Amino acid sequence: MVVREHETGVDLAVELCGLTLRTPLIPASGTLAKEALGEVEGVYGAMLPKTTTPEARAGNPPPRVAETPAGMVNSIGLQNPGVENFLQDLDAFDLGVPIFVSVAGDTVAEFGWLCEILAGDDRISAVELNLSCPNVECGGLAFCAGPASVEEVVAACRAAVPGKPILAKLTNEGVVENARAAESAGADGLTVMNTIPALTIDARAQKVLVRGGLSGPAIKPVALRAVYDVSGVLNVPVIGSGGVVSGTDVAEFMLAGASAVQVGTASFVRDPQEILDEFTAYLKENSSGAAELTGALRGVRPVLAGGEDI
Amino acid sequence: MKFYKVKVEEREELGTYTLLHYRWSQELVEPGQFVMARAAGYPATLDPFLARPFSFYDYDGKMASLLFEVRGRGTALLDLAPTIEVTAPLGKGFRIDPELGRAALLGGGIGVAPLKILGRHLDAMGVSHDVFLGFADAGSSVVARDFPGAEVATMDGSAGTCGTVLDAATGLEAYGAVYSCGPNPMLAAVKLAAGEKSLCQLSVEERMGCGNGSCNGCVVPVRGGGYVRSCVDGPVFPAEALAW
Repeated sequence: MVVREHETGVDLAVELCGLTLRTPLIPASGTLAKEALGEVEGVYGAMLPKTTTPEARAGNPPPRVAETPAGMVNSIGLQNPGVENFLQDLDAFDLGVPIFVSVAGDTVAEFGWLCEILAGDDRISAVELNLSCPNVECGGLAFCAGPASVEEVVAACRAAVPGKPILAKLTNEGVVENARAAESAGADGLTVMNTIPALTIDARAQKVLVRGGLSGPAIKPVALRAVYDVSGVLNVPVIGSGGVVSGTDVAEFMLAGASAVQVGTASFVRDPQEILDEFTAYLKENSSGAAELTGALRGVRPVLAGGEDI
Repeated sequence: MKFYKVKVEEREELGTYTLLHYRWSQELVEPGQFVMARAAGYPATLDPFLARPFSFYDYDGKMASLLFEVRGRGTALLDLAPTIEVTAPLGKGFRIDPELGRAALLGGGIGVAPLKILGRHLDAMGVSHDVFLGFADAGSSVVARDFPGAEVATMDGSAGTCGTVLDAATGLEAYGAVYSCGPNPMLAAVKLAAGEKSLCQLSVEERMGCGNGSCNGCVVPVRGGGYVRSCVDGPVFPAEALAW
């Protein structure tokens, strides 16, 4: 069953950083290939292709993925053809909705350089900074390992792309402090959160199978907490991400404070249209528009940001 | 990824392997193409999270069949399910060129799966061929009865020739085309044994996340450097394209 807005009268549109998205769903970076675009027309409010880097990256040797309880661990290594080829191919992602581009670099200067290139490209509506990649100038610690490096990289990108919204994508650890740093450095929005560091072991072969990031429904409660805590104390909009597999999950993230919601690993195992249909049905049952859900729980109880409150 | 719920019409136990048959209606499935499959129940179950890739064992325009061995939770549940969920056919299959002459088909373990439908297509196109199948032991070799005339080898010698599939398949250089599916070390050995004169095509077995090119999880190294995705660029590759 495909539920369309004009049939249901449900208002799915949301505002994000001055952009109107026809649905609150956005693909999480690295989870929607060009080859799979035929399946998602009409589902997403914005497109977001796989992270691009200054030069092509071959990625990590296999095995790169391992299933885990209610999720998976991946270690792809940002395999991508480099920004020049990426931009030549970008038109494939034009499905009539805004295109967001995810970037990553080895250094602050590389982030800035990428943002400068994207700044002049009218096809691109917003830039998402993948801050979970290693900063080679800081011994390989991730850019989002602490507020100082978050502030530095976001400030450099802000200066390089003054005319487009920038979204800082953060991991769970230290998320409130890092979110504050990103906001004060000029980020227009935050994507909360990236995968969680994880490991799988093959006991039979007695070796590490995949050392990478955990995604899928297993991490949803962690992501909800991060979105709730961050959106409770900051003013910039939050895009929720982490373990969304159903329309109810989308609603939960928006109630927790998200203005839009990313669907990632779930698109490997479900038709994203079904997630949108379920979300539409939820809104209908609750006589609500999508945008009204955002932050509806704010102030229901105090947010003790960063604390281990129970 | 869109999944379709289908009823399991028949379940055959073939030694340690299981063969599932389900109704499917589509004009064509290329030999070597695959589906992602799982026991029905998603998303209520959520776990096991990912579907599993399986080559088409056969497809006659009405019934499709998948061959698998229970190795973990995903396949254990698939083995019990009265209803399963499958995707439409995925990936690139074997290229058949009748001009190339006699063909050799080599399967290793569960990798024998795509050779059934391939053999039928070769028969239909009048391409004569020989089939060589390698297994761990007699228990896993039961499926070989579905390949009349095939040469069989088992690692423990409990059925057929003792050794690998290549111990049963000598003189591969003489064939115009070589088709193979099995574990990567076996495929590398087949590539070497086939030499460079024949058209050698290999169907790789890789762990997959999505099956539609999105996750970049199922890559294989290619000659000239870098990796390509086995789900959309394969799973069948010309042997010379692979780095191993």
